[in-house]
Amino acid sequence: MSLPASESDSLASRRSKKPKYSKFTQQELPACKPLLTPGIVIGAFSLIGVIFVPIGLASLAASQNIVELIDRYDAECVSANDKVGFIQDTKTDKACTRKITVPKPMKGPIHIYYQLENFYQNHRRYVKSRNDKQLLYKDAASTITNCEPEATSEDGGAPIVPCGLIAWSLFNDTYSFSLNKKAVEVNKKNIAWDSDKNKKFGSDVFPSNFQKGGLIGGAKLNEKIPLSEQEDLIVWMRTAALPTFRKLYGRIESDIMASDEITVVIQNNYNTYSFGGTKALVLSTTSWIGGRNNFIGVAYVAIGGICLFLAMGFVILYVIKPRALGDPNYLSWNKENPDHPN
Amino acid sequence: MRPERPLPPPPPSQQTEEAAAGAPGMDAPTKLPDPVPSPILRHSSANSMRRSRSLRSLMADSPSVTFATNNLRSGSKAESTASSLESFRFHRDRSASGTPAGLGRVSTRRSASERASSQRDLHDEDARFVYINDAERTNAPPAGLPDNSIHTTKYTVLTFLPRNLYEQFHRVAYLYFLVLVALNMVPQLGVLSPAASVLPLAFVLGVTAVKDAYEDWRRHRSDKNENNRTASVLVGGVFVPKCWKEVQAGEVLRVVANETLPCDMVLLSTSDPTGVAYVQTINLDGESNLKTRYAKQETMPTPAEALAGVIKCERPNRNIYGFLATVDLDGRRAVSLGPSNIVLRGCEIKNTAWAIGVAVYTGRDTKVMLNSSGAPSKRSRLETHMNREVIMLAVVLFLLCAIVSLLAGIWLGHHSDELGVIPFFGKRDFSDKDDPDATYNWYGMGAEVAFTFMKSVITFQVMIPIALYISMEIVRVGQAFFMVQDKHMFDDKRQAKFQCRALNINEDLGQIKYVFSDKTGTLTENRMEFRCASVHGADFSDTAGSGGADDGHSVIGEDGVVLRPKTAVKTDPKLVALLKDGAGANADRARDFFLTLATCNTIVPIAVDDAAAAAAADPDPAAVTARLLEYQGESPDEQALVYAAAAYGYTLVERTSGHITVDVFGSRQRYDVLGLHEFDSDRKRMSVIIGCPDKSVKLFVKGADSSMFGVIDKTVNSDVVQSTEKHLHSYSSLGLRTLVIGMRELSQEEFQEWQMAYEKASTALLGRGNQLRNVAANIETNLHLLGATGIDDKLQDGVPEAIEKLREAGIKVWVLTGDKQETAISIGYSCKLLTRDMTQIVINSRSRDSCRKSLEDAIAMVNKYQSFSTDPQLRVPLALIIDGNSLVYIFDTDWEEKLFEIAIACDVVLCCRVAPLQKAGIVDLIKKRTSDMTLAIGDGANDVSMIQMADVGIGISGQEGRQAVMASDFAMGQFRFLVPLLLVHGHWNYQRMAYMILYNFYRNATFVFVLFWYVLYTGFTLTTAITEWSSVLYSVIYTAVPTIVVAILDKDLSRRTLLKYPQLYGPGQREENYNLRLFIFIMIDSVWQSLACFFIPYLAYRKSVIDGSSLGDLWTLSVVILVNIHLAMDVIRWNWITHVAIWGSIAATWICVVIIDSIPIMPGFWAIYKVMGTGLFWALLLVVTVVGMIPHFAAKAFSEYFIPSDIQIAREMKSQDFHDVTRPEVQMSTVSRA
Repeated sequence: MSLPASESDSLASRRSKKPKYSKFTQQELPACKPLLTPGIVIGAFSLIGVIFVPIGLASLAASQNIVELIDRYDAECVSANDKVGFIQDTKTDKACTRKITVPKPMKGPIHIYYQLENFYQNHRRYVKSRNDKQLLYKDAASTITNCEPEATSEDGGAPIVPCGLIAWSLFNDTYSFSLNKKAVEVNKKNIAWDSDKNKKFGSDVFPSNFQKGGLIGGAKLNEKIPLSEQEDLIVWMRTAALPTFRKLYGRIESDIMASDEITVVIQNNYNTYSFGGTKALVLSTTSWIGGRNNFIGVAYVAIGGICLFLAMGFVILYVIKPRALGDPNYLSWNKENPDHPN
Repeated sequence: MRPERPLPPPPPSQQTEEAAAGAPGMDAPTKLPDPVPSPILRHSSANSMRRSRSLRSLMADSPSVTFATNNLRSGSKAESTASSLESFRFHRDRSASGTPAGLGRVSTRRSASERASSQRDLHDEDARFVYINDAERTNAPPAGLPDNSIHTTKYTVLTFLPRNLYEQFHRVAYLYFLVLVALNMVPQLGVLSPAASVLPLAFVLGVTAVKDAYEDWRRHRSDKNENNRTASVLVGGVFVPKCWKEVQAGEVLRVVANETLPCDMVLLSTSDPTGVAYVQTINLDGESNLKTRYAKQETMPTPAEALAGVIKCERPNRNIYGFLATVDLDGRRAVSLGPSNIVLRGCEIKNTAWAIGVAVYTGRDTKVMLNSSGAPSKRSRLETHMNREVIMLAVVLFLLCAIVSLLAGIWLGHHSDELGVIPFFGKRDFSDKDDPDATYNWYGMGAEVAFTFMKSVITFQVMIPIALYISMEIVRVGQAFFMVQDKHMFDDKRQAKFQCRALNINEDLGQIKYVFSDKTGTLTENRMEFRCASVHGADFSDTAGSGGADDGHSVIGEDGVVLRPKTAVKTDPKLVALLKDGAGANADRARDFFLTLATCNTIVPIAVDDAAAAAAADPDPAAVTARLLEYQGESPDEQALVYAAAAYGYTLVERTSGHITVDVFGSRQRYDVLGLHEFDSDRKRMSVIIGCPDKSVKLFVKGADSSMFGVIDKTVNSDVVQSTEKHLHSYSSLGLRTLVIGMRELSQEEFQEWQMAYEKASTALLGRGNQLRNVAANIETNLHLLGATGIDDKLQDGVPEAIEKLREAGIKVWVLTGDKQETAISIGYSCKLLTRDMTQIVINSRSRDSCRKSLEDAIAMVNKYQSFSTDPQLRVPLALIIDGNSLVYIFDTDWEEKLFEIAIACDVVLCCRVAPLQKAGIVDLIKKRTSDMTLAIGDGANDVSMIQMADVGIGISGQEGRQAVMASDFAMGQFRFLVPLLLVHGHWNYQRMAYMILYNFYRNATFVFVLFWYVLYTGFTLTTAITEWSSVLYSVIYTAVPTIVVAILDKDLSRRTLLKYPQLYGPGQREENYNLRLFIFIMIDSVWQSLACFFIPYLAYRKSVIDGSSLGDLWTLSVVILVNIHLAMDVIRWNWITHVAIWGSIAATWICVVIIDSIPIMPGFWAIYKVMGTGLFWALLLVVTVVGMIPHFAAKAFSEYFIPSDIQIAREMKSQDFHDVTRPEVQMSTVSRA
């Protein structure tokens, strides 16, 4: 039967009131509904185990291959009882000679780190006490926001460049190495990140009024060298995440044989005594894993082991207490009155 | 459209005196009452006019009794009388008990005060004076009436910001974050940079503000459109177009057909000589039938421009069913005006060429504006429970902060001597050389500890998830979108979409334990169908033989136009034959019977074009050339009767003010309407006095059997009376609504006596209603029984199946109806609420003592059956059937507890003859005593109180107007949609929302714990390795989208499974998806994951060159990956959107971290590039993820396999048997079609 025009129109308009059917609006989009079947559970645990154990073993091996020599010198290098007084006295000779025996051959480059303990470079007051604009832009020399209490010099209030506690407390122990009486060259180039040198520290920003105050916090800077080339400062100013940290001091490019004895002359200037911090010199080779650290390898092996164990545990559980998936008899209302299946 | 509502008045015959004077055969009574309240009057209002008071206050008094109370269905809408709000007074069946309705008690002060106020005079100080045709005087100070412009906008450009912010900060959580932002601004406490600290709050406020602004802009636009529409206003003697906004009170307006009223105006005259105007109030109350309004005869004759006078009317109020005023023309006596004399803004004039009126309420004073209020706001149970966990998180937050500040104090105490020289502390201010003790940023130990505490609150603030609140809102909007779009909840017949009116309680739909349902219009269609007639003792119910559209269907030619009643009714051929060709008493009785049906009503016949008919209702392509005769009226029962009369050859074709034209088998006959006693709930019947063409005067009465048998002369034809009673009984057992028809021929004396009394009563100033009622009662005596009718109120599609499903789902369905007990029980059976194996406990008491006794018996019975019920196999299902009278006694005393005890032991509760407030009382009975969620569903004004009382209120957008819908939280077209709404959407919504809340707690806690562990390694100084921008973006960008997407789109089970196993609704009722146990589990998981996330990198990087930023980036990425994988592990349905959201979030995080580390000025410049270049970083990322997820994965694998929930098994079943999918689909379609 043909419909009059008005009627089919009205039908059309009526139809438009009805929600348009689509897979989306009806929440019927094609979807994947994964289930944790025994196969998947066992498979997942086994897979993790199978992957993790080798990775763990490999990183353990890599870590074991790294030769790391740590020499804590803060106590031995100060003979006086009043350690703070000793270190604060600018006139005394603070040279200190340490001898380190190399147990295994070390392949160059050998990284030289200094390691500080209990030095909270992540202390809130400390991390905030810097001004990144001032470090980068020549014109921003007087931008000293956040730099208190090391913002301006005591005399006249001229802005300090680089300002702030971080720069002020720049580490200033120095090491000179000799192997078998022969001085070993320490390469102090490229110890800082290139990104920092290029983009973060200005090549036309020079230190001024630095360490001119009553209390000297640490190293002084050569005012002739722009900040972008003051690599020790750049390394120092990338503040450490944790209270015990290492910072790269330099590299020895040559190899060192086993049982060689390295003599280090340390200028023990940096004051960690006033707050009970420790200082250590670290020599280490590197690999893909970074420094010597067994933790990651052990962790991987342990996790892999646990996963394999869990896989086995689940296998046993599935065997002793099997359940047919999707059996309606397990539905609670079917269990209550088994005679009346719904 | 209920019978008990005041019927539209007969077109006032006094006007025939002037307009149609000298009509033949008209001894026109001079003064008939003013048009009595129009159908729109539903609420008796405090301000209603005196003349309408009689009716409406009566109904208020005895709302449960109706037009045909004793008929099966008739009572159904009794509840829905005017009185829905104020009546708690119960009426005892007078004719049965023989006592006056005095048993009712006024239990609320309102009904008493209402009576008082409806009788009060309009005092000058409460009144507004409107001078007709004199807007200047009307609006002169001190009146200061508003103009007709409307402003629905909340804000202006200037007030938007302060006002919107003020509104938003009503949320306590926002205040908390605001305080933290303020704290952060204190220099000593500045943990975050100002920008970073403001961002999250600003984001949340901004999103809401944009939404509000957009909505307000739309309102502004529609206001502007509305204000600039034109109306024709009388200026200097001519009607000129004027903008709506410029219309002022006192001005005279002219409105033509199909025009919308610009303001509330009192009718002065209309194109109809009798002053009738038909209006459609669909914009006001959603009812599409036409209502009649009248111009006062006093104002009719005067041309509008010559009219002068003052209208004294009540102050603007929001009662759209009440209006109280007097008009004083030229200082003559005041004429009273009532609700039938005013047409309200938003109404449309129909079937009336023009109407002239004077504006009385304008702009914001109009009733429609005063009534425009938003949907009710409720809080979902989940959100209420959530507060408990939020408080626990606050306690955890406090503990974390206390620990940090305590340790910080200890650390400072330890190092107090060295603080000045520790390079990383810098207590001494070196810049000041004069003062060796000068300190930088140091306020003493106590202050430092206090500062540390406040700083840690700022740092750990996201422990209270700010994004959760806005996420929940977004998710609810999304869920609502899918509910509205669901084709399974679209009502094809009425073209009604599902509506979400309240956006706060989507998830409550998944926890419903009790459904309280209205009956008529909710379980049934409320589309009445004439089924059978008992005429003069003979039953004519055999309509099987007929059926076709033409069969027994009168088609009348009038001026060459073929008119055909819109609805066909099946007829009994025997009865048709009797009417056509029969002779003798039986045939005469039958003819009077149908004449009564055709005349004793207030139906207005309207001829409509077929095209219009096709658009409005069922298209019938066969009738293109004919016009359809549509019967407009407010009572579906009356409509059904008139259509039936038409089918049997008595077609009502015209109703004017003074006469009715009925086409009797092709010949048009004119009947003069001499008087009409409209229905009231005391008499429970209505009658008309008709002057027939043969000059005889007849009284036709129809009414409820209980009231009719009292006034029927039983001495004649007692066998007819007996057999009619038998038929009535069998009709009501079939679930039909019954009416008894009677008539009497009036002698000239009787008529004149009546006429005088009628005239006197209708002009009485005091107690007019009572007097009219007495007049009616006096004349309605000694009737001859003509017969009875049975009208079928069909069950809606799929109601029995839906009830079955709901019961299987563990939802108790209670039916609360105004019907009488037999009707309620028979409907109970037909919708499978009651089954044959149920033991019925009936409490049906006439007195307080018997009520207590039946309660005690019932308790004894319940206890007896419960003692058997140790074995569920032997349990006998119980059904409680209780009536309104008993409920009066119960609610009156402290037996509520007993009733509750009985009710919860029963499987089904059926309350009959209950008044609207009792419905709410029953809902409250459950709400007060249990923590179970309640849902009320209904369609009429009588359900409003119940809908508002229940936790979730659902309105059926049906025939009964829109009050129920307006009061509801959700509105839909059919009862059966409850099944997909609760079992499917409710289940999903609850499950998703519960998971989302838990997940948000977990996600933010994990992040906070990672921050916390690090703080322990920074000298307790609240340094964060994670950049502040990452911590700000964490809950906004890094992890917000997936949880929202999952909460909108994830489905734990398919629609099919949920409908196949309604028991799966149980977890929501038992709160299995959100409880303290789950919260603790997920918090333990959160601590574990934060430990893995923090300590594995910590141990790996201890004593290394790692810088703060690099480690921070690693932590950022690993915590984001962890929480997203956690979410991914719990996602059940993976579609492409989920994939994009989850993996996209991880990618987005990576991108953000890279961007942040590419800004040279940031301390962490380039860190991510450096750290990503090391193998250790990747190794750590992998191991952190795996270690973090192992417990969750193992626990999930274990519990899903060894202690599976029903939902888990159902999931497995679904993926196991793919072949089974067709079967439930069939089931579903039976639900939707049956």
